[in-house]
Amino acid sequence: MRAYLRFELRRLVRDPRLLFFSVIGPVVTYVIFSGWSAGDRLEGLAAPVAVMIGLAGYGAVAGVLMVGSAVSQERASGWLHQLRVTPLPAREVVAVKAFLGSLTAIPPVIAVGAAAAVQHHIDLPYGRWAALVLLMWIGTVPFALLGLAIGYGLSPQIATSVTFLVFLTLSVLGGLLAPATYFPGWLRGLAHALPTYRYAELGWRSAAGQLPGGAELAVLGAWTAGFAVVAAWAYRRSTARR
Amino acid sequence: MAIRVTGVSKRFGVVRAVDRLDLSVDRGCVMALLGPNGAGKTTAISMMLGLAPPDTGTVLLYEGSPVDAVRAGRVGAMLQDGAFVPGATVRDVVELARALYPRPLDTDRVLSVAGLTGLAGRRLDKLSGGEAQRARFAFALAGGPELLVLDEPSAAMDVAARQAFWTAVRSYAADGNTVLFSTHQLHEADEHADRIVVLAAGRVVADGTPAQVRVKAGVREGISLDQAFLALTDPSTPTGTEQ
Repeated sequence: MRAYLRFELRRLVRDPRLLFFSVIGPVVTYVIFSGWSAGDRLEGLAAPVAVMIGLAGYGAVAGVLMVGSAVSQERASGWLHQLRVTPLPAREVVAVKAFLGSLTAIPPVIAVGAAAAVQHHIDLPYGRWAALVLLMWIGTVPFALLGLAIGYGLSPQIATSVTFLVFLTLSVLGGLLAPATYFPGWLRGLAHALPTYRYAELGWRSAAGQLPGGAELAVLGAWTAGFAVVAAWAYRRSTARR
Repeated sequence: MAIRVTGVSKRFGVVRAVDRLDLSVDRGCVMALLGPNGAGKTTAISMMLGLAPPDTGTVLLYEGSPVDAVRAGRVGAMLQDGAFVPGATVRDVVELARALYPRPLDTDRVLSVAGLTGLAGRRLDKLSGGEAQRARFAFALAGGPELLVLDEPSAAMDVAARQAFWTAVRSYAADGNTVLFSTHQLHEADEHADRIVVLAAGRVVADGTPAQVRVKAGVREGISLDQAFLALTDPSTPTGTEQ
């Protein structure tokens, strides 16, 4: 399993598209737009901090979904079939994929955090930075499962567009790009039910020095369970086909 | 016994891909599975590798289930649709296979046997068709499996690569390992296999050494195996359906 993880990590590092979408995209967005709302208070934080966490989450979710749904290509190309005739158990392939996907959450959080620290002189205690990175990493579990559900459930041509659509919908409506505070009331209600908003909330609360709240854990837990069921179903269906 | 297939059938809808197949392969044998398109070669191989369960009958590898043999690292396979993923190099996949199997071969030996020594650092998505096929062979071989299964292994290789490939296969079998390959290339089966099994419509229509297969088809020694093959697999001739 370690050998396969090493193999996949090497591939990930060599893929520049991922870096572009998950790191460069959110950093550039932050640098350009974070000044606009700089005087406001959002999600109980100074706006530059709240926007930083929103965009870090945006990059993290992009990376995690991309890695998961890329399974679709590996399935279609026959690579997963090839792995099945080696001693590597199929469940370890899935575990490595999920873990790897979640790891891609870390670079965008660090990169956007660095941009925010430089541009707006954001000054959080080290402990809060550490809690922020840790929670923004662990909080990607539902998105890793969603990515795998797409990757195992759909053909490559469809998977790419579905990933993009799902990602855009979840991140925009979840208030990762434009803060949900500016949404009309009904839309804000919807945002609060989405995993993206609750995922960012883990970050917002840790930046404010608070522990995760019951509401976001409940909402994230429910989405995690739902995506896990779909991912398991898609996985079983994909292996039963041939 | 390396492979023992008993009464195995598999249908896809109305198509009977494999029809009551019986087949035993001894250890150390190089066996060719020959047959026209749709004869059931790939389906038979899938079942031998535990990728697809048979509808009826049993498949045993080394007297256990195919899944157990695969899990124990006794089987290496080069599948027809087993493409690689982009972003990895030739060396990456060889090292991956070596790490997954209990008794791997030496990396340099694998690379040289597969004719990839100068290409170790090349990314798999930058390989030509023939090179990619050699890389897939390297992946199947690197773990040092007792049973090497090759589904149409040499289709995209040029003449020189093909010759080097078959030399490697023969020397691997000479070490006591078993090799099963499927092919359309009759002369390859003729030159490189100890035993040829001809499939047509999911059944064995001939089984033996190249010479025995010629006799069975009623063609003289010295006549190319192509004639024998056509005679055996033509559904309109009586030899094509063995009861």
